[in-house]
Amino acid sequence: MFGALRSAARHFLGVTRTSTYYLPWITRPGLRCVLLLNNVESRFTTARAGGPFPAAVVQYDARGTIVARYDAAVPTATEPLELPLDAVAEGHGFVTVDVARLQSDLYVTLGDGDAYTATHGRHEFVETYPPWTRALHAALGAAADLAGMTLPAFVRHQYVYVGAHDRSHVLLLNLSNVTNRIRTTAVAGGATTGRRLDAIAPRGAALLDVASLAPAGSAARVLHLRFTGNAWFNLYLVGAGPKDLAGPLSLMHVK
Amino acid sequence: MSSSSALCSATFVDPGYDHLVELVHQRDRAAHRRLEALELELYEPGGASLGRMAVDTRQETLDLAALVAARAPGVARVMVTFDARYDSRVFPYRPHHYAYLKLRDSPDAPLYYAVNATLGGVPERIEAVTRQNNFETYLFLSRPAGERYGLRLGNLARFSPVEAQVITFHGEARAVVPVTLAPHQHADVELPLEREGARLRRVELKTLFRLASYVTGRRADSGGLVLFDHLFTYFK
Repeated sequence: MFGALRSAARHFLGVTRTSTYYLPWITRPGLRCVLLLNNVESRFTTARAGGPFPAAVVQYDARGTIVARYDAAVPTATEPLELPLDAVAEGHGFVTVDVARLQSDLYVTLGDGDAYTATHGRHEFVETYPPWTRALHAALGAAADLAGMTLPAFVRHQYVYVGAHDRSHVLLLNLSNVTNRIRTTAVAGGATTGRRLDAIAPRGAALLDVASLAPAGSAARVLHLRFTGNAWFNLYLVGAGPKDLAGPLSLMHVK
Repeated sequence: MSSSSALCSATFVDPGYDHLVELVHQRDRAAHRRLEALELELYEPGGASLGRMAVDTRQETLDLAALVAARAPGVARVMVTFDARYDSRVFPYRPHHYAYLKLRDSPDAPLYYAVNATLGGVPERIEAVTRQNNFETYLFLSRPAGERYGLRLGNLARFSPVEAQVITFHGEARAVVPVTLAPHQHADVELPLEREGARLRRVELKTLFRLASYVTGRRADSGGLVLFDHLFTYFK
């Protein structure tokens, strides 16, 4: 019922969904972000003898600007391609990968030279709104913004963790071509501990500092966050240790 | 464990880590109502039970490290099964437990992972009916030298032992390591970083039925986990 309503609303608004494989990226001094592109899961299909497999990569930064394009190609079904994302020395966002010829989950890694952490991307979709809907979003979104609100089109829930020496930040990805105003509400022990509103540029991203949502001086270890956005978005968790974003980081997908 | 409204997941607990498990991944009131019961069972590496206990499903997160420390002190590696029963209205959403893992007093980042769903759940969603979920693979970067890799495997079957094959690929060199696990037995299988001068690039796991399985990566110097990830099934 709710899905049908949502589908009807998308149709009315002229929203199109394009199947897209995306992965998050983060770069920092001393932190190397490398994609591990592969087609290994195709090795039991007719594709096993093929290759190279084109896998064009487009890298968007936090402002939604395309900062790099890579004409990548996976050599064979069993030989992966390591693609360093070195166009930006310090930043974050997401990349899209053309997976028309690939049949595998793809990995993104964050490494410091000695070791790396890894997670995988998502084969999902991005939403494209036509001009009139974008204008409507802009007008209504600006009005809601004045009240610290957003248009509640999509909701996600996520636990995050905060401690003296470790925490999990949230990398919000705007998977649409409209400005996405994402309202975050944090709750710990039944009490609201923080709220914020982030306006994320089309195809942009925001790295949400979990400390901004934790109550000062609180011993709360777990916060549950409720995200409400006016357009399609997803998120990854960013694990940080004692040096916070200046130290080793991990990325992790969520359902 | 295999009825359509049950999900059995498993993870492993090492001493020295903070380990917090989310009982329901979605934090909304309906999700909590749909988790009807949750029982945990702890197993030592040889497969002997260290205890079974019910968990209050009203809890949002469970301090697994504290629970294991209290119930199984001194055991180097404990396998914990999560036998969850859901109101069938939760489906077709596939429930998950996720977990936060951090080595105490370590400079490394914490890890966040999906607890391995091994039995039950939504059969077609965990690829147990129409797809093979017992033939998995994982890839490794070629560069970092200060990391050691392994596979952590657990047999959740009550009565059947399993003979698994762990296959490593170092360049073109393929090597097979047989692993036999009795019911509820679990093991760490070391994956050699190099073989004949070539780096480890890929691992495969073949078994007759699905095991609890994780790829682990550890810093060579401290032994701290930097990878704790699920493998990927070949056939989707």
